[in-house]
Amino acid sequence: MIWISTRWKLLLMLAPALVAFTMFVVYPVVYSGVFSFTRFQGFGDPKWIGLGNYAELFADPFFWQALQNTVVILVVSLAILIPTAFALALLLRRKIAGSGALRALIFGPAIIAPILVGLIWVFILDPKIGLLNRFLVTLGLPAVPWIGGDVLSPVSVSVVFIWSSVGFAMTIFYAGLQQLPSDVIEAASIDGSSSWQTLRYVTIPMMKETFAIVTILMITNIFKIFELVYMLTGGGPVHRSETLVSYMYFVTFTNQQYGYGMALAVVITVLGAVVSAGYLALSRRKEQAA
Amino acid sequence: MNRRDNPPSLRRIALSLVAVTAAALALTACGSSNQSADGTTAITLSMQNPDVKTADPATAAIVSAFEKANPKIKVTVSGEAVADHLQKLSIAAQSDTLPDIFWVYKSTAEDMSKAGKLLDLAPVLDELKLKDTFPASTIDNFSTGKTIYGVPYQGLLTGLWVNKKILADNGISMPASFDELVAAAKVLNGKGITTISNGANQSAFSVWSFLTDLDRYGFQDKVKGLLDGSVKYTNDDFLTLYTHIDELRHAGAFASNVSTQTYQQAVEQFTSGKAAFLDAGVWASSTIQSSAVAPDIAFWKGPEFSDGVGEQNIIMNVASAPFAVDHRVGNDPQKLDAVKKFLAFYYSDAAQQILVDNGQPPVTTYQPTVDATQQSALKAALDAATSKGVKSPQSQPDLLVPTPVANAMYDSIYGVIQGQLTPKAALELVQKALDANRQ
Amino acid sequence: MTTFSTQTQRLLVAGEPQPRNRRGRRAAFITGAAAYLVTFLIILPLLWVVLLSFQPSSDILSDPFAFAHFTIDNYTHALATLPLLKMYGNTILIAVVSVVIGTLISFMASFALTRMIFRHRKVQSSLRFYLLAGLAVPVYILLFPVYRLDLSMGIFGTYAALIAPYIAVTIPFNTLLMTGFLREFPAEIEEAAIIDGVGLFTLCWSVVLPLMRPVIATILIFNIVYVFNEFPFASILINNPDMATISLAVSRFQGQFTVDYGGMMASATLVLLPQLVIYALFQRHVIAGMTAGAVKG
Repeated sequence: MIWISTRWKLLLMLAPALVAFTMFVVYPVVYSGVFSFTRFQGFGDPKWIGLGNYAELFADPFFWQALQNTVVILVVSLAILIPTAFALALLLRRKIAGSGALRALIFGPAIIAPILVGLIWVFILDPKIGLLNRFLVTLGLPAVPWIGGDVLSPVSVSVVFIWSSVGFAMTIFYAGLQQLPSDVIEAASIDGSSSWQTLRYVTIPMMKETFAIVTILMITNIFKIFELVYMLTGGGPVHRSETLVSYMYFVTFTNQQYGYGMALAVVITVLGAVVSAGYLALSRRKEQAA
Repeated sequence: MNRRDNPPSLRRIALSLVAVTAAALALTACGSSNQSADGTTAITLSMQNPDVKTADPATAAIVSAFEKANPKIKVTVSGEAVADHLQKLSIAAQSDTLPDIFWVYKSTAEDMSKAGKLLDLAPVLDELKLKDTFPASTIDNFSTGKTIYGVPYQGLLTGLWVNKKILADNGISMPASFDELVAAAKVLNGKGITTISNGANQSAFSVWSFLTDLDRYGFQDKVKGLLDGSVKYTNDDFLTLYTHIDELRHAGAFASNVSTQTYQQAVEQFTSGKAAFLDAGVWASSTIQSSAVAPDIAFWKGPEFSDGVGEQNIIMNVASAPFAVDHRVGNDPQKLDAVKKFLAFYYSDAAQQILVDNGQPPVTTYQPTVDATQQSALKAALDAATSKGVKSPQSQPDLLVPTPVANAMYDSIYGVIQGQLTPKAALELVQKALDANRQ
Repeated sequence: MTTFSTQTQRLLVAGEPQPRNRRGRRAAFITGAAAYLVTFLIILPLLWVVLLSFQPSSDILSDPFAFAHFTIDNYTHALATLPLLKMYGNTILIAVVSVVIGTLISFMASFALTRMIFRHRKVQSSLRFYLLAGLAVPVYILLFPVYRLDLSMGIFGTYAALIAPYIAVTIPFNTLLMTGFLREFPAEIEEAAIIDGVGLFTLCWSVVLPLMRPVIATILIFNIVYVFNEFPFASILINNPDMATISLAVSRFQGQFTVDYGGMMASATLVLLPQLVIYALFQRHVIAGMTAGAVKG
């Protein structure tokens, strides 16, 4: 590769993406980051207050509640979503009539507007008029506060998130499975390993990058969940079911506290990046140890 | 090998993409409006509904009547949902790209005016001799000092809509005091009927009747002190009120799914006869009129409190969020003239009657003609507002404080309603916002 | 990593071969049934949206599970209220331009960050991390500055105002996928081509890109869907209703105090179906023929 890697060619290849990304993503983040040190309403003159917003953030019980909710969603979603999407991808790799159509349909929830995702699931999860509780009550069981209560909201949000993202994750796994060099798999089965052993000891290790990709995507997407929560519960009751971004939206646009909102946004970005990087580092270390 | 195994070459893909783009360009070109100058002045009106024609027929009707009477002026009406609308306006204000006339929250308008983004409407109103057509409280509400930054859009007449049939069916007479309301709630709750229908999901502001109750505990006199810190929100009077709200919760007055129910769903509960009272205002009159419960409707100013502070016989009849005008209009004589004509038309008796015909009360001192049968709901509300001896506060409590404090007030009230906050904790929530605001 | 034979390639494409015996066929049947069942459960809520779109708005709230009156009023109202054709046109235009440019420049950067040789290794991995960090950025932090950026660049009010941020925002995702797959993929094919003497452009265009077909297809689909559904930027940066994109369609039915649920359901179905079709089509035409033309064993 050294013959094509001249300085000039490198620059040519990298420049457009770097320029676009820096101008429209990095610069805005820095710009907003600067505002996080001010007291600002969105218009008028910002007032410099140093770390005041960050101090407020750490003392804000609603922030910690939102963080806790986000972490719960993270743990629950990752635990269920990744295996499920992978299993679905494996399932649909078999020769099934119309598997293309099935894959498209499973991808459907990822496409539908978040407004409607929230709306439909409210009709299912609402403690009083929702389908789920009506079903439970006819069976003689007590109604469960899936949303609108104190504890279960993050779990319910996870379920909705999993539902809407499984097609997305499955598609990436599917593409990854397709790129596997199958002579290794063939060799394993010739050697007499069962399909489960092939899966565990051959396929999955070869899909490491794919798993990493899906996990990082899901982590960052979970940190960015907003519309789902907003439609399901409005963040309530009294901010008890907020996620990080939905609380940031409330602070920035509903409360017009732009400076504080930007501090929240910076913290969210850093958290998302740190958790993803942490995951990457952990999986690198495991790979090296193996 | 069949064709399936031969993937389309990259060149084919590129060509088809170009074709798609060309088609897209063609689609976008067809139907684009041609705006020629030819002497017409264009002004923009930005509202808090994406589909103004359906959601705000009063405004749409006034605009088309105006354009008919002024063929040389074209009003481009646009809008988006409230949250998006306010977001857009904040961003536009900072970059000086505000629409010509727009709906906006009062506190936001006040801040925009202080930042110099709005046109001072005092000279405009003087010139059009409109000052006298408004109730004095309206003018005071939308001014800081001598600057008038907003003009009324529609009225904010709030209260509890009543389904008299449900009360009658359950042997309850129309309550007047708070204790009677609690007693009624206990009876209704025993029958599985929601007493007061409201929804907190994305509509935290829908606590109108409780905001009026704040005025029954001396909010108007306290507000100045609250803002400058000399009076605490955690005072005994408010504690009494919030404890009463908690009482209502214990009596089972509210729906069990208040936190996941939207305001629209709450309205729907009422119009389908599942709730005795609806916490809303006169803007719901059209929806109620066209529903099955219309014949049994009354409008109640709210309960009187025996341990209240000050005047109890009050009804909230004030101006809602105002129209504001972009300051750049003042630099464009043609636009300024068009805007003046629009405002003059909007507050004329003809346009105010259009408001009434579309189920909204007038914002001027105009006395409208209301059809008693076709608009029984609206009439009930207007009668309640003008009944003997009733007074209206200067403004709704949340309109007198900055946005974060208002949001804290909504959260505090809904917090108690949903059993999430004790009355004391609820008060402290608002006090915290007040303290933060003073920094 | 070893090379792969044509036989295994065929396996890859066709999936597992059809089982010969009855037992195997029964297992295959169960697998198929399971797939269909799971898919049905997943799309149940979507089916419900479509069903609800044929209900009068008033009925949707009062009893969303009873299917009493069947009407197409919602669709006629949605079609009358929304300039659907124009909205589709706008969205397709913005989508195609931003996705093509975005995919292209992301590929170039990904290729440079995985295949090409840097003077300092650290720079290469840091740049990759730099681009990937963009995934953690919530879009709301960008709204206000991008608005001002568009204004100062003079592109506000044009299609470019949306295209530019869309390109930038999809770069992290594209880079993640492309660098991921390139790292998993053996470089021998390319090295062979270089030994044969091809230049950078031919290498990318004729050797690498065709091999990355599934990834490219995945990226194209995801990005197009993203543009179709992107709301925050669209709602802020589009001032001219003539330039509205399709993602704003559903929100059009949300008023301050009233919501036209029927309209929302109908417009959502109108927006959803074409995207599903695009997804299905892309799969069949591009992913299916992936390995034809790859290295012979």
